[in-house]
Amino acid sequence: MSQFSAVQVPKTETVAIQLTAPNQVKLSGTITQKEPANDLAGFFKALHTAALADQLTEVRADVSGLTFVNSSAIRLFVDWATWLKNERGARYTLRFVTSRNVTWQKTAFMALMSLTKEVLAVEHVT
Amino acid sequence: METAEHLPTSKRLAPYPLVFMRFRPAWAYIDGIREFGRFFCQTTFGTPELAERACVVIQETLENAVKYSSNSPDSELELSIESDGSNIEFSVSSLPDAAHLNSLREELTGIQTLDPEQAYLAAFIRAANEPEASARLGLARIRYEGGVELSMKEESGGRIRITATGKL
Repeated sequence: MSQFSAVQVPKTETVAIQLTAPNQVKLSGTITQKEPANDLAGFFKALHTAALADQLTEVRADVSGLTFVNSSAIRLFVDWATWLKNERGARYTLRFVTSRNVTWQKTAFMALMSLTKEVLAVEHVT
Repeated sequence: METAEHLPTSKRLAPYPLVFMRFRPAWAYIDGIREFGRFFCQTTFGTPELAERACVVIQETLENAVKYSSNSPDSELELSIESDGSNIEFSVSSLPDAAHLNSLREELTGIQTLDPEQAYLAAFIRAANEPEASARLGLARIRYEGGVELSMKEESGGRIRITATGKL
């Protein structure tokens, strides 16, 4: 079993999280709690660490069903991309699967892409 | 919710706000008020795009107001929504702690030196470069994603009013 697939998925009230493949995580719902990092920062860091250990070439983060998030949650995606960008050894591409119909995804991932384009890819499913 | 002619708003788009709400600064209310704002804008103006913008403005302004409210019994928040048929204005009045006021002034001044997209990108760069600091993406996000300009007015009793004005 890959380390990525073995990462413990946190239980949160408003967002459903699934590891749907050995390199894919899917989030849906909303993230608007005061400190989303409490639930999710450690999880994203564990996925990042596991992806490196598994020597993955790509991680797919499907956020297309994440209909609304606050800026503290956007910060978590910035952090994940920054960990990856700052990685010195072999690294993977972080591919965010997004929806064109969700406003925050268009603006946030456009900004994130301009910041970390060497490690990031953005794919639109709708 | 009520309409009120004695709200401490200095400049109105219309004689009365379309929405006026007053409530304790509790995080638990934000989701419900944001979704009411979405429903209200969708129903009143018929544009899903405006409803999405309203959600961002309401969420981020209320988050800031709740996070930095003083513990005073007078710290109730007020949210109003007004329109003159061409523009829409969201206004949040709060009683912040004094320490927050200076940083809010600086933050607003800083983002307004850049156009909304540049300011949002700059906020991302800052967040990436300062991983231990708080996100501080919210105000730049309101301007860019919400399609509004922001202003702050200091009112009597230490209250402040953050106003977000944009095209319908």
